[in-house]
Amino acid sequence: MKKTSLNTLLIFLLTGLIVSLSACKKDLLLQDPTTELAASDFLKTEADATFALMGAYGAARAVFDRDYYFSGHGEYTRVRGTSAQSGNILRGDAYQGGNYNPSDYGAGFDKYYRYLYGAVNRTNYVIENVSRMLSEGSSYSASNLETIIGEARLLRGMTYFRLISMWGHVPYLSKVVFSNAEVSDLPRIPIEQVKDSIMADLTYAFEKLPVKAAQFGRASKPAALAFRGKLQLYWGSWKKNGWPELENFKQDQAAAMVAYAAAAADFKKVATEYGLTLYKNGDPGQIDALGQADILPNYYELFTPKANGNPEMIMVFTHMGIPANPSQGEELMRDFSGRSHEGSQLWVMPRYELADRYQLITTGDFAPKLIPMNPTLPASNNVARTTPNSAVNPASYANRDYRMKSTIMWDYEMSIGLINLKSTGYLPFIYQSWAAPVTISGVRYTTYNTDGNNSGYVFRKFLRNYEGLGRSEGDFAWPVMRLADVYLMYAEAANEVNGPQGDAISLVNMIRRRGNLPALKADKTASKNAFFAAIEQERIVELVAEGHRGFDLRRWRAIERVWGGPGSAGVWRIDTWGSNQQRYYQNTNERNYQQNYIFRIPPGERDRNPNLTQNIPWL
Amino acid sequence: MQISTQSGTTIDKTILNRNPSLIRRVFLTFALLATAFVHVSMAQKAITGRVTDDKGDPLSGVSVQPRGNATGTSTNTEGRFTINVADANATLVFSYVGFTPQEIQLKGRSSVDVQLQAETQALSDVVVVGYGRQKKVNLVGSVSMVNVDEKITSRALPNISSGLSGLVPGLAATQSSGMAGNNAASLVIRGLGTVNNAGPLIVVDGMPDIDINRININDIETISVLKDAASASVYGSRAANGVILITTRSGKGQRKTSITFNSNTAFTVPSKSYQFMADYPRALTLHQRRASVNTLPQNQLFKDGTIDQWMALGMIDPRSYPNTDWWDIIMRTGEFHNYNLSASGSNEFSNFFASVGVKDEKGLQINNDYKQYNARFNFDYKLKTNMNVGVRFNGNWSQYAFALSEGFTDPDPANTAGNDMQYAIAGILPYDPATGYYGGVMAYGEDPQAYNPYTLYVNSLTNTNRQEANANMYYDWTPVKGLTARVDYALNYYNSFRKNANMPNHAYNFQTNSFGSRVYVGPNAGVSNNTRTGYKTLLNGRLNYQHNFGGNHDVSGLFVYSEEYWYDRSQSSSRNDRLHPSLSEVNAALTEIQSTGGSTDAEGLRSYIGRVNYTAFNKYLFEGNFRVDGSSKFLPGSQYGFFPSAAVGWRFTEENFLRSFTERFLTSGKLRASYGSLGNNSGVDRYEQQATLATSLYVIGNSVTRGFVSNKMINPFLSWEETRVMNLGLDLAFLNNRLTATIDFYDRLTTGMNRPSQFSILLTGAYEAPRTNIGNMRNRGIEGDFTWRDKIGQVQYGLSLNASYNATTLEKWNEFIGRGSSTGGNQIFLNMPFGFVYTYEDLGIAQTWQDIYNATPQGAQPGDVLRKDLNGDGRITGDDRKALANVQANRPTTFFALNGNISWKGIDLAVLLQGSSGRKDYWINAFNNMNFGTQRYASTWAHWENPWSLENRGGAWPRLGGAGSNRDETTFWLDDMSYLRFKNVQLGYSLPVKMLSRVGVSNLRIVASAENLATISSFRGLDPEKEAHDNNMYPINKSYSLSINLSF
Repeated sequence: MKKTSLNTLLIFLLTGLIVSLSACKKDLLLQDPTTELAASDFLKTEADATFALMGAYGAARAVFDRDYYFSGHGEYTRVRGTSAQSGNILRGDAYQGGNYNPSDYGAGFDKYYRYLYGAVNRTNYVIENVSRMLSEGSSYSASNLETIIGEARLLRGMTYFRLISMWGHVPYLSKVVFSNAEVSDLPRIPIEQVKDSIMADLTYAFEKLPVKAAQFGRASKPAALAFRGKLQLYWGSWKKNGWPELENFKQDQAAAMVAYAAAAADFKKVATEYGLTLYKNGDPGQIDALGQADILPNYYELFTPKANGNPEMIMVFTHMGIPANPSQGEELMRDFSGRSHEGSQLWVMPRYELADRYQLITTGDFAPKLIPMNPTLPASNNVARTTPNSAVNPASYANRDYRMKSTIMWDYEMSIGLINLKSTGYLPFIYQSWAAPVTISGVRYTTYNTDGNNSGYVFRKFLRNYEGLGRSEGDFAWPVMRLADVYLMYAEAANEVNGPQGDAISLVNMIRRRGNLPALKADKTASKNAFFAAIEQERIVELVAEGHRGFDLRRWRAIERVWGGPGSAGVWRIDTWGSNQQRYYQNTNERNYQQNYIFRIPPGERDRNPNLTQNIPWL
Repeated sequence: MQISTQSGTTIDKTILNRNPSLIRRVFLTFALLATAFVHVSMAQKAITGRVTDDKGDPLSGVSVQPRGNATGTSTNTEGRFTINVADANATLVFSYVGFTPQEIQLKGRSSVDVQLQAETQALSDVVVVGYGRQKKVNLVGSVSMVNVDEKITSRALPNISSGLSGLVPGLAATQSSGMAGNNAASLVIRGLGTVNNAGPLIVVDGMPDIDINRININDIETISVLKDAASASVYGSRAANGVILITTRSGKGQRKTSITFNSNTAFTVPSKSYQFMADYPRALTLHQRRASVNTLPQNQLFKDGTIDQWMALGMIDPRSYPNTDWWDIIMRTGEFHNYNLSASGSNEFSNFFASVGVKDEKGLQINNDYKQYNARFNFDYKLKTNMNVGVRFNGNWSQYAFALSEGFTDPDPANTAGNDMQYAIAGILPYDPATGYYGGVMAYGEDPQAYNPYTLYVNSLTNTNRQEANANMYYDWTPVKGLTARVDYALNYYNSFRKNANMPNHAYNFQTNSFGSRVYVGPNAGVSNNTRTGYKTLLNGRLNYQHNFGGNHDVSGLFVYSEEYWYDRSQSSSRNDRLHPSLSEVNAALTEIQSTGGSTDAEGLRSYIGRVNYTAFNKYLFEGNFRVDGSSKFLPGSQYGFFPSAAVGWRFTEENFLRSFTERFLTSGKLRASYGSLGNNSGVDRYEQQATLATSLYVIGNSVTRGFVSNKMINPFLSWEETRVMNLGLDLAFLNNRLTATIDFYDRLTTGMNRPSQFSILLTGAYEAPRTNIGNMRNRGIEGDFTWRDKIGQVQYGLSLNASYNATTLEKWNEFIGRGSSTGGNQIFLNMPFGFVYTYEDLGIAQTWQDIYNATPQGAQPGDVLRKDLNGDGRITGDDRKALANVQANRPTTFFALNGNISWKGIDLAVLLQGSSGRKDYWINAFNNMNFGTQRYASTWAHWENPWSLENRGGAWPRLGGAGSNRDETTFWLDDMSYLRFKNVQLGYSLPVKMLSRVGVSNLRIVASAENLATISSFRGLDPEKEAHDNNMYPINKSYSLSINLSF
């Protein structure tokens, strides 16, 4: 090789060496993330305070927006599973793995407990940091910051309220936590104290929040007030009926009356002072003929995105479907409908027994009991579909409460099939048929296809009847406080204090009017107990599948009334064909009842925290 | 002349010495020289001679120097030289790159002919270690080396990781799937070292973090497995779980340019697979039987009429009443093709190796294909006598197509589509060519979600392309004797692109001639793309010093400064509604619904590495290493870890006082001991330690709004996991190296395993638990390698046995460990094996009610598995489980392999047996479920034959639809996963060289080979290397191949 070319090569190499050495990175060990905001750059402006609050709303939404699963703790809704995805908080992780059966559920909510405290931490972060900004003052708008704190305190109050209503005494965190050591040995705080703290939060929120939220999705004054009323109503119920499973909790009728009265006052205010009205003024709207669904009553619309922002929805958690990235959609359709509706999974369905709860618009009272009949049995082959009051005879559902058609579907009721964001036209629901061809009045249809239906009914409530959104892309704002609920809670609280009174009765009748039912007859309001039964009836029908029933049964101590007492034969849940499906509370012992009245403190936490006591039935 | 056949882990150099023709020739040469030159002159004397390679071809440019004198000469093109020496007894040193230097004492001669041995053939003497090579005799660390020879390249191996199975004691290479493109073996050295990434560090030609499975096997020259702290310490960070060093081929020492062509063609069949029942009426009958346990006939989903109708009409109308044999439809005979062409050669200045290869795998499952192209160019150039430069370049490109990530099943819990073979009922027609429709459910009562796997495997494929370019270059300079400076720079670039563009199709019902409810792929099918691209750079500066003083003291030192940097970015986009199903790119879709994503991340590592070796009298060996690593994953103050190690060795057979005693049987013997520490940071995410906020977006009005939450508590003191390894080793060679043995004992303690810290449930809903360095794991084990090699007449044979035992014990854990706690599927308890077996004991299947009454009440009926009430409290609860302390559920404790080969003239036969024991696992998965769902279950013949019933009291399984506890983890389902496998058998024939040379061919070998020919195991499931309880049912391949190796 020639000398010159060798030198050229050498120079080339040396240059290469210098280049590569200059590639030495001075900050090699300091790499900054490109998609995460540094904590030190945050909470400098009022906008930041709002962003922090939105984070808290996101965390609170995660523990409230799938409350419908809790309906499974009652007797009218079956929750055979959930669509909640483990590890994904936006996809219901808080509810994942929970037990939503009418019994034996008390040990199933460790994860929910964890996420409730997650929301508590999120709200504490906002309350503490924005309070600091408020105290630093000057450049910030005080009222704006106070509103933000008020919203965060409302969310915190709601979260603790949920905690005490399930677990009784619970640890109380009111500050931002910086290390595990600060909380690793916290004891449970007596429920009275926690309740007082919740009252303080809700009262602050009531004082600071605007009468009408500036933006859809944020809280307002009536929301704070309604939750304060609800807290006192529950407090009244516990004091009145007792909570023997909760250690050191004293039954106290006088305290109950005080609480009921305070609750009634708050509810009254919500009902009267802010100009709130039921959806479309509580008009029932129009209803289509049996087996048709072109025109559906207003109550159906109330649970579609059409009701987003309606005054009846006092407090909601918002959702958005498309653009689905990052996903903010709800999965009501996925949970409440079947495969023929965007491949949904029918995790939640009405139980057979719900149907008899819908009264006749003609009499305003219950219809004759439905008769379950199997249309495939040779003996009844020709008559099951035509026998009067047969559960598989569509005519048995004539003239019912408008909310029935809005809420459930029985055989031959239609809904819009949806596949790949497109409508596939009407599908009839026919129990025990799965996407089968069927000809009705000369038109060929394919039947509604369900997974795991075992009652003969499916929900229409929450099911969209228009195309464009997938099963996980719903944009319905989930109501955690509805004016109808406030009316019924007012009636209940007022009835406890004073017995049936005109204003309470008229509010209940306003709810009934939505179902196109006549006003309550005199015998239904003749006594405190009769009126209570009427209120309970309305709560069952009006609030079905919204997650209230289990909480109601517990605070009324009504589990034995519904399912029978310890050692009894229990109660079967059946289907429209008369098959027994599941039996609950068969030969159930007392301890089991106790465990259904109070939830289990997560034992994993007790393993680590010696100061954490357990609820007695779970010891 | 063939010098030796290399195989397995060692080569016996003594074959060379024992070769009688060579010895005779050397002896004759010396004798002639001695008689010819009897005059000895004391003056300057001219010495002449000729240097040739082992084939007798002249070597030009060979440096010839009298020892201790810098002036020398070099040989001419004919290999001849002339040199003047002052001392007639001087020693001449012949050195040439790529060849083993040779020293010749003149002893008065004036003419010397020398034959140099190429270094490649002396590999057994030299072992590749971190940042260099060491003489094997002087090695004090625990290193096993594999020469990748024709015994390996002629096997139908999809990748080198699976080829390492059974070759190295202490290295577990477990292959759990035969899926094309997803059939790599997981590699674990000396047991699971940590709960974090416990895989070894892969270093290819000095560059760490290369995908071992993308390297062309034919390009590999050697694989070194560094197992203890002393050998791996120079890779301190991330070397805690051992290091696998791969060196690719070069043309060093090859005087003649040689061109080699390798071809390997195999067909593959499953080693074992499930026998799905292609008999729908019978499957429905099983549903009936299962339902009859608790359902009245009128409430059962499948009626007699449905079944009878299907049975009758299935015989005359298979389109409307199909009985599909899915296994026949969706499986094929797999194929494996591997073609390689390489060229290599060298001259006095340079050497090169170039290769191109293509590997084409067609999996057992239809449309599961993997194709990879490889190109490599390795080049070294001598700039000056004391300066070298070289480059290694490898490019590869792969195409991978598959339907589900595990082949037949989808492990993603978020995927609820039920794309799983257990739902592939026989009553679905795969495809009707007349109409072009794909079949769906037709029977009354069947779940419309039962699915047609054929349509999925045809219409819903994921295609992945990946390109990699790995280049590195070095430059070294030896300014003064013994001191070498070297700079390496390496760049690895990858780009991978994944695309889905599924073809719309809809389940069709051929009975009603209408579409069913299941839409496999909707008409709004879109396209989704995912691109990942990134690079890694490495900059090394190295100083090496070597010195010999006093004749008997060798000292060498190494210092390295190293920087590594990783950069990865990803971008994804998708749109719904392709304009037309034939179009498959993003632009060919509507924009109404679309989504995008993208991010980058980076990581840096800075290291200082040092090593000192000292050898005295060739018998006392010492090595000291250290490595300091700084990682950007940790916070300043905790970034650096210091990992030192030291090792000593004693070649006791070199001691005179022992030699007289041992020399009769012991050829050589060495004791080794090493102790040191290694680091690991794999559990920590790149930005985990940075105080950042997470997003928790919310919806306000009609739009998504920003929301931020604090979700981190940082542990500023988090730092490296540290593993301390003590290794004791013994290397012995007996009977003139015919028998060699290596035995190692180790004790490896990983301390400060970084784990999410113990965290209150009051916080876990909002904060990620910060990692802390808590958790200790100990691995103790012993491993041995015994090789016998000899030659009887024309027959040459060898037998090599290696075995290893490892026990992994958890010694410290940060969390409260309750009864039955597990992490990552491993049962844990202190001072117990990590992943021990915790099980109910069974009493077999209850045959009668009396059996039920005799057992502790447990809600069983005849036909159910009865469990023992171990604690005698009259109840069966979780407390009745028993821990088996000597078996592991997920990994065997013991591995063994026997490698035998025999050759006679051109014929050679090799057998590799491999096995393991010490593992028990539950065979409970979706395919042996006797409590299957009420609909859509694809039964196997085992479901027909095995369940207990009154007519089948000897049934191997409990009754259909029995107690849920029949599926619990009892010893009833606990199978011993021990196995012995005929991993490879190959028969080769090398055509005679004389015959080949006439047509210019230097070597032609034809090999017939079989992989996984037979497996002996008591495991009832698919394969004892798979996870027994897992649903992944892609079989392990059995392959038969024909390979041709041609060089000229």
